[in-house]
Amino acid sequence: MSVSANDNNSAKVSVRGFLAKYSVLIAFAAIVIFFAIASPTFLTPANLFNVLVNNVVMLAIVALGLTIVISSGGIDLSVGVSVDMASMIFVMLLAAGYSGVVGVAGGLGAALIVGILNAILITRLNISPFLATLGVLFIGQSTQQLATSGGQPIYLTSGYAADQFNAIARTALFGIPTPVIMLIVLALAVHLLLHRSVFGRYVQAMGAQPGVAWYSGIRVPRELSMVHVLCALLAGVTGILLSATVKSYVPLSGNAFLLDAIGATFIGTTLSRERKPSVIGTLLGVLLLAIVKNGLLLVGWNFYWQQVGIGVLVFLVLAASFGLRRAAH
Amino acid sequence: MSATVFHAEVGVSDEKQAAAKSARRRFGALVVRLGAIAAFAAIMAYFVIFAPGFTSTFNLINVVEQSAILGVLAYGMTAVIIGGGSNVTEGGIDLSIAANMGLCAAVYATLLSMGYGDFLSVIAAIAVGMAVGALNAVAVVGLGILPLLATLAVLNVAAGMELTLTQNTVVGASSPLLGLLVSGSFLGISALAWALIVFSAIMIVVVHGTSFGLRLYAVGGHPEAARAAGISVPFYVSFTYVLSGFCAAVASILTVSRLSASTPGSGELLLSVLAAALLGTVFSRRFVPTMGGTLLSVLFIGLLANGFQLLNVSSYWVNGVQGALILLVVAITSFARGSEGSR
Repeated sequence: MSVSANDNNSAKVSVRGFLAKYSVLIAFAAIVIFFAIASPTFLTPANLFNVLVNNVVMLAIVALGLTIVISSGGIDLSVGVSVDMASMIFVMLLAAGYSGVVGVAGGLGAALIVGILNAILITRLNISPFLATLGVLFIGQSTQQLATSGGQPIYLTSGYAADQFNAIARTALFGIPTPVIMLIVLALAVHLLLHRSVFGRYVQAMGAQPGVAWYSGIRVPRELSMVHVLCALLAGVTGILLSATVKSYVPLSGNAFLLDAIGATFIGTTLSRERKPSVIGTLLGVLLLAIVKNGLLLVGWNFYWQQVGIGVLVFLVLAASFGLRRAAH
Repeated sequence: MSATVFHAEVGVSDEKQAAAKSARRRFGALVVRLGAIAAFAAIMAYFVIFAPGFTSTFNLINVVEQSAILGVLAYGMTAVIIGGGSNVTEGGIDLSIAANMGLCAAVYATLLSMGYGDFLSVIAAIAVGMAVGALNAVAVVGLGILPLLATLAVLNVAAGMELTLTQNTVVGASSPLLGLLVSGSFLGISALAWALIVFSAIMIVVVHGTSFGLRLYAVGGHPEAARAAGISVPFYVSFTYVLSGFCAAVASILTVSRLSASTPGSGELLLSVLAAALLGTVFSRRFVPTMGGTLLSVLFIGLLANGFQLLNVSSYWVNGVQGALILLVVAITSFARGSEGSR
């Protein structure tokens, strides 16, 4: 039981443990080096800028929301609906001539409704998060089809508000693109919330031991509601950014984020021994996916092979992390 | 233990309050349950009265036919959930099943269009399906990767390979087997409907009528106890993933026969498959996934879509109503479960 005996035991397996713990980081470094050699344009500032703005920011904000939910031991399959609803209301309000501020408030409000709906279903009706958010996903898809007569995109013709918002997605502050600054601020906020606040401790407790959390006096329904509302709001931010970037609302486009965001969050969990999600891990997971996608494109793989490549690489990273850790135990 | 301590500290007034609370809760449960049954009955009654030809034999067989593909896939998913346990993030799940079906369909249609016979093409499709299933099994059982993650990675691989093979186009296919599946019939029931009936019968008998099925439930319900009882847990869990791959291959042949082609976009079926397998749990008394429950929920979803179609209601409503009904049914059962727990 003594500390030194523990150390002796773990020393033998520490190399493998080290490899298991940092396998994602090692794989990340190896992939960056590989693409840097294979493609001369990969490490150019223009390309990295492009990866950050187009592949990282929006996915990362959705993944931050999922990180909170997965930390609480749940899942949210309806993040795509939150993205879409925010995007839809935002674009509809702007198209109707309202100002950008009203559009953003409306968009976030729509995402908030999705989050509250999830919270009610999970905490009041005791439906498991998986089924509750799956049901909301189906309802959200129908709602969008009905609202857009079967999935017609809505385009923002250039007007005052449209230009203004497209500008926000395209401008930079101190040389850093505005969306990237938004991501940094949000990531920092979620990090503090999840790893440094009382709320975060409650969330982690609910994820680790739901029964114990309940008996310890944590108001599980209230904290869980907060978790789902926050996740939906973050997805809503992505929805607004998405519309501002492409100047339109394309129905059912949010679902594309779901599987990637889940993947990124769980890749991030390989950083911790207990497999807990963390903001840093999630960001690393998102970066890994984005870099592989971009690198394979630059090396000249077509879109179809990229998907195979991403699957294989993620599979190998996971295999290394999980397999080595199992061997280390 | 913490529960008993907690109870000891609860005062008399708290107990009264708790009793009042549980009474209110029971009343709420009653309202919701009756409301749900009434809603379900009302929908079906509405279809029977107003949807022209809803109850005709032809239409009901048509529903069974349309449910065949979803049903076969849902059986694979159900087997994986039974063997892996139904924990949301760590239990058994196969996200790759729909993409796997797409890949098998692409392989099958491509081989047929290259002139290989039915026999070879079917063997190849089933081999591919089971190989993808085996890959999942290696990842989950051999490497210990979370099923959710492992099958997510395999989903990408399978979907990418399907796209590479077909270049995202429709690959037309025709063969004697496909002709038989489309137009063949026996005892007035079409071949596709027979496919679902026979497949369902096999699945229900194997999972619910044999000691093999019982062990499978043991493995999913309590892996340690199963291991202590001498059951090879890794074998059973691996088996479910390979079976899921096999189901994907069978479904791929059905889908190619229905569409006379392999078409992109089969991955969209994933959520419906998950919904069918999870919704099926509410038909069992102990809320565990069962093959019979999965069959009922698949037919239920089929009847719903069919009724809407006959009523000329826009198909955009179907998903939403399906989602709302899932929530309703699950809410009722969780109320029922809650009152059981308090007893």
